[in-house]
Amino acid sequence: MSRYITSSAIRGAHGVVEQAEKLYKETLKALGPDKEVAFPNTTYYLPVIYTLTGHKVQKIADLAKPLELAKSLLAPVPDEHLWVPYLGEALDAGAATLFAEEIIEGIRFAKGEQPEAKNGFKFNGPIDDVQMRAWGIQMVDGRMPGFAAVIGAAKNNEIAVKIVRELQSKGQLVFFSGTTNGISIVDQLLESGVDLGYDTFTVPFGSDTISTVYGLGYASRAAVSFGGVTPGDFRKILLYNKFRCFAFALVLGPIDDLKWATGAGAINYGFPAICDTVVPNVLPTGITKYEHVVSMPFDDIPGKDDMERAERLVQRCIEVRGIKIKVAKVKIPVAFGPAFEGEVVRRDNLRIEFGGKGGMCFELLRMKDKDEVEDGKITLVGPDIKTFDVGAKVPLAIIVDVAGRKMQEDFEPVLERQFHHFTNNAEGFQHQGQRDITWIRIHKNAVDKGFKLSDIGEIIRTCLVNDFGAIVDKVQVTLYTEPEKVKELIEKARVIYNERNVRIAGLTDDAVDTFYSCSLCQSFAPNHICVINPERVGLCGAYNWLDCRASFEIKPSGPNQPVAKGQIVDAEKGEWAGVNKFAYEHSNMAIDRFTLYSVMDAPMTTCGCCECIMVVIPEANGFMIVSRDDYGMTPSGMAFTSMMSTAGGGQQTPGMMGHGKYFLLSKRFISAEGGLKRVVWMSKNLKEELGEELKEACANIGEPDLIDKIADGTVATTVEELLPYLEEKKHPALTMDPVM
Amino acid sequence: MAPVELPVEKWTGKIKEVKLGGNGRKSMVIGGETTLPFLKFEGVLPNKPVIAVEVQDAPPKDWPQALVSAYGDALKDPGEWAKKALSFGAEIIYLRLKSAHPEEGNTGAAEAKKAVAKVLEAVDVPVIVIGPEVPEKDNEVLVAASEVGKGQRLALGNCVEKNHRTIAATCIADGHVAIAKTPIEINLAKQLNILLCDVGLAADSIIMDPTTGSLGYGLEYTYSVMERLRIAGLMGDGMPSMPMLCDVGEESWRQKESRVTTGVPETWGDPAERAINWEIITAISLLNSGANIITLRHPKTIEFLKNSIAQLTQAG
Repeated sequence: MSRYITSSAIRGAHGVVEQAEKLYKETLKALGPDKEVAFPNTTYYLPVIYTLTGHKVQKIADLAKPLELAKSLLAPVPDEHLWVPYLGEALDAGAATLFAEEIIEGIRFAKGEQPEAKNGFKFNGPIDDVQMRAWGIQMVDGRMPGFAAVIGAAKNNEIAVKIVRELQSKGQLVFFSGTTNGISIVDQLLESGVDLGYDTFTVPFGSDTISTVYGLGYASRAAVSFGGVTPGDFRKILLYNKFRCFAFALVLGPIDDLKWATGAGAINYGFPAICDTVVPNVLPTGITKYEHVVSMPFDDIPGKDDMERAERLVQRCIEVRGIKIKVAKVKIPVAFGPAFEGEVVRRDNLRIEFGGKGGMCFELLRMKDKDEVEDGKITLVGPDIKTFDVGAKVPLAIIVDVAGRKMQEDFEPVLERQFHHFTNNAEGFQHQGQRDITWIRIHKNAVDKGFKLSDIGEIIRTCLVNDFGAIVDKVQVTLYTEPEKVKELIEKARVIYNERNVRIAGLTDDAVDTFYSCSLCQSFAPNHICVINPERVGLCGAYNWLDCRASFEIKPSGPNQPVAKGQIVDAEKGEWAGVNKFAYEHSNMAIDRFTLYSVMDAPMTTCGCCECIMVVIPEANGFMIVSRDDYGMTPSGMAFTSMMSTAGGGQQTPGMMGHGKYFLLSKRFISAEGGLKRVVWMSKNLKEELGEELKEACANIGEPDLIDKIADGTVATTVEELLPYLEEKKHPALTMDPVM
Repeated sequence: MAPVELPVEKWTGKIKEVKLGGNGRKSMVIGGETTLPFLKFEGVLPNKPVIAVEVQDAPPKDWPQALVSAYGDALKDPGEWAKKALSFGAEIIYLRLKSAHPEEGNTGAAEAKKAVAKVLEAVDVPVIVIGPEVPEKDNEVLVAASEVGKGQRLALGNCVEKNHRTIAATCIADGHVAIAKTPIEINLAKQLNILLCDVGLAADSIIMDPTTGSLGYGLEYTYSVMERLRIAGLMGDGMPSMPMLCDVGEESWRQKESRVTTGVPETWGDPAERAINWEIITAISLLNSGANIITLRHPKTIEFLKNSIAQLTQAG
């Protein structure tokens, strides 16, 4: 914590505690110890004091205890030469300040001085329980992210209005208190004719800084009411607010000691302060989720005018508090939904296409710093659809820049691959492929309804924010249709794709200490659990290690959980103590061992959705692999479906295992049994599908001709047919160690 | 002949006990078993399964004659209806705020409050309040219902992933129980319980509705899913160890077999009798897969089930 801020806060706390004590003593004399002290329409007494300490204040005499507590929390103002004052002292001073402020407000109520009336305007004072309940529920379920406590006054009335409108547009409840040079933002808003009150989600607490404490009383009550926290359990109250109540202070104008002291109190709740003046920044995270204090001098904010500066100021508040705003609907001129996902745009209906044979179209998602991305900005460089002839094939580049506190470079391809799924939901829009083989076709009707290229950006941005909001905070999309530009950019994109390929190739099981689980299939295979390592794709082929990692970030209680590898048990078979423990706990204790590189000893269980299934052929000293789309008979005497019913349903069957197609290309592919060299038979379509990549994998293990030596359904569907073929081709499996 | 020795399974877990009612209202506890349904020789089953009877906030438009004639004029008023249900043997009233459905009248918080107040006034047994099963509308009417019944430990549903925060919040605030509904899926059921606990709802304030089908298509699937949930709970996993509720009345009375009167083979028999049998068999099956609360509609089913439960709990 900054020395300047700490000193101010502690000084401010001393001041306000003294003020409270003086007022208490006077009132005790004037009104007696039994005079009632209560905020109106609440069952939470003085809520900050009650919820944090459990102490119920009902009369003047009850104030003695919290006052003593406040005094005990006060450290001496740091000495001029003490360079690193203790953060805890500032926070304690903050708590003392809130107690003192609430004591003062309580006494003011006892004396009939609250809610405050000034210049004919009656302030609201504390929020009553009925309203707290109504808003509290919206805060809990996310309709209302939290509240903004605006303290002081804006540079002028126009800016004041703009700030409040911006906050309202983000769904924030807005509280007002305090003044700057005697002017309060409430005065500014009233002069501009803005309606204030519960109906407009704006609450003017009072004209002084002390009334800011009502906001914290509101937050405290919400935690007790909706978080099930017991009054007095201050730690839980504060944590509840840190993680669930997205509130912050926006401090307008110069900051005095009392404002700092109150701010320190709010930081206890995890509420940061954003100030529009020059103050020290307190950037490290800790008590608050992100920064504690952020200085954003208003006139230095980039922007063409004060309105834009106000907008950016509020945007920064939202970022600092980590508020996610969902977009209700994809705003495009055509219908949007899963019903349109499989839609095909045929030649006759084609208005325009991008990519495909002889075309040029690519999509690229890049991670950027948050300052480099303007959320929601969608730009088209070059002409739009309508300027092209019907049926034209046009170059297109879709470049999506995202920023997010939890974004990682490794998630780029994971998010990029979603574009296919996102955009296909649009009516009259067909998307195929990915990266630089993207192929997009748009229906005439869609363009007639007003579909423009920027709508692609709209779809991607909205879906990313809604579905991946946990990792993505800001999205901007740029589309290019000028051939020269697309050509230049596609070359740059290819460099990035290549880098990604290299990175993925370098992502090995040994390079990580965490694998991920997938329990999606437990609904029908209750004892099945997948463990997915970097060098092995899930058996359904749909989830790789990176997907699982991203999925866990997005939904920490979801089906993909981290699995700590733990101690290695058998490096050759790929057995780890952590994996075994996880498998045991998540297979309903049905399976106690899992090897990742072996099919003969404790192979992974098989659910029902494996792309391929392999089984040992003892006579051939190897394995055969049949793919799901091969309906023919195999040398095992079983077709795919009969094999499925033997191995599927979550069973662990040594010698038989479901797996993904791409597992064949992995260096870890049944490495315990000798890898690809053990494959004696394979579905023909699988050979064709993996084509060049499989050839390369064979070459890498020093068997460039292996594919030809592996039989398929055209040469053998029985063991009797298989063996002579293998012998004729001199298949390496025949001379390897016995598989059984 | 040597006596046959029964194989006894040793479970380590226990199904959570959930209390309903209280604060002036009769209270009851459900759950708490340490073994599969009715296996007294194997574990403890401290609380027998209970019967909830459905009441709606407006006269039902689509009920077959067999049901309408059983309730008569009571269908016109939720309070009277609840009393009638009680006289048939209801241990819980299952109030469905059907008119809040956008296509059934789209009534709001004010009407919901009135209907809930009427039922709470009319009967002293625990009450379950179910919204129209449209998450946004559920939020509106259940939050209102929650306020009316504050402290009386109602159960509120449906609480699904989409609106779980709202329902959890209102349950915490007013001391109610959430009915966590998931579409016949073990992981989703477990996940919703985790999410509810994350929001701060106590684990003993959750009842699972795993969603059921009726006899015929859907029943086996639900049966297995429920059994799996129950076994997982008994094996010591705390998250699927909540008691379960099955909405048998709604499911069985909407099937074709419970409704058609003409154009079917004669062997199908008397429509009313057939529909009741349908409800009975569905209910009995689900009791055996672990249901703690069964919701029913027809008085004959209620009577039959009461007897069955009594016999099953006394036996062995």
